[in-house]
Amino acid sequence: MILIDVWEGGEARRRVQDYCELWGIEGPVLLDEAGAYAKLLGIRGVPTNVLVDSTGIVRAVGAGNPDELHAEVDRLLQGDPR
Amino acid sequence: MGAEDVASDLETSRSYRVVAELATGLEPEGVAVDTGRRRAYVACARSNAVTVVDLVGDVVVGEVAVGREPMDIAFDELTGRLFTADLLGETVSVVESSSLRLVATVGVGLYPSGLTLDAKRRRLYCGCALSATVAVIDVDTLELVASIDAEPGAGAIAVDARRSRVYCANFLAGSLTVIDGRRNRVLQHAEVGPAPCAVAVNPARDELYVANSFADTVSRIDLATSAVTGSMNAGRTPVGAAVAPAGDRLYVSNRGAGTVSVLGTEDGMEWARIPVGEGPGGCTVDPVSGRLLVANAGAGSLTVVEDLLAERPTVSPDEPRHELLGRQLPPFALPDMRTELVRTSREWAERKYILNFFASW
Repeated sequence: MILIDVWEGGEARRRVQDYCELWGIEGPVLLDEAGAYAKLLGIRGVPTNVLVDSTGIVRAVGAGNPDELHAEVDRLLQGDPR
Repeated sequence: MGAEDVASDLETSRSYRVVAELATGLEPEGVAVDTGRRRAYVACARSNAVTVVDLVGDVVVGEVAVGREPMDIAFDELTGRLFTADLLGETVSVVESSSLRLVATVGVGLYPSGLTLDAKRRRLYCGCALSATVAVIDVDTLELVASIDAEPGAGAIAVDARRSRVYCANFLAGSLTVIDGRRNRVLQHAEVGPAPCAVAVNPARDELYVANSFADTVSRIDLATSAVTGSMNAGRTPVGAAVAPAGDRLYVSNRGAGTVSVLGTEDGMEWARIPVGEGPGGCTVDPVSGRLLVANAGAGSLTVVEDLLAERPTVSPDEPRHELLGRQLPPFALPDMRTELVRTSREWAERKYILNFFASW
């Protein structure tokens, strides 16, 4: 999972470092401070998950709640393109 | 997104009209209405300030500095005082609306994040998430009169004025604490859905609604018995709730979708879905105009919406298919938080992965 932080309203790096430390978040965390990449993708809220298959095709967008995310990950791992 | 960008993007449908989207301070979360002065006050957490909006002209007319990270807000019509729950300040700030000046701060528990006023009993209640308590403040003397044990994540809070009962949603515990407001005593804890973030009382139906942000649902509570009687589906990550004056519909702001769901309170169905700014948080209804006011934490704006529905529409809103589905992900090149080096989508080529868009607020 690649985390992309958006819409912090300034001091994004410091705020996100504090946040990741607080919650023990590891792995890649990227900064989209002005939300330009989110806007390009049509992302309008957080959290939003975008699931991408091994050919770079987007298979799911949304999946904000844990149950929905688990179901979408299962589908992605099973290669179900729907 | 700035005010100029959103002004050209206002939307209208047969069920709603977006009247205005106004640029506020950073991370607007809570909103309250001053019916006498025809103003809205918006708690802007990342600005440590309240944005003041003229509801007649739909323009921003001022800003007041308050404590650190004001998250929620309440207005007392009797004294003209405005209160904010300051998340990192561990205070409730008190602002005189006539002068727009901070006049007092009251120390409360840790991580105060929800506020509600019982105007008749002259009490302000503040849910304090990390101390798992509800602070009780006398709104006339501005004294802390009690601290009541709730459960972890105590935050959003509402009052059943008829019975003097206080309902506090506990985000981390997934529960609702019911308090006897006369005796400052806990009556019970009720289980609701995961991560409850918003509560709203509907006097017309004698019900309370609890938005469960990790389940995309709203629990329905019977105020006579404090029992959970049902559930309604909302949009993605519901975190704000407000009841229409007639009590026939509930507005739920969906932080994950950038929308507000209009839910019928009798049939429990979604009547309409209104696009607002990015990452909407708190919402309220202006009782004078009936317009819905939505604070958009991501966009840094306040959306003013006119609900045009006279009744439940014959057709429910479609679940739109996202335009990215089935398409190649646009490439990205973004700085890494830890190293500050730019990382690109090429690193993850030929692998399955998830992009998780999030914010620290």
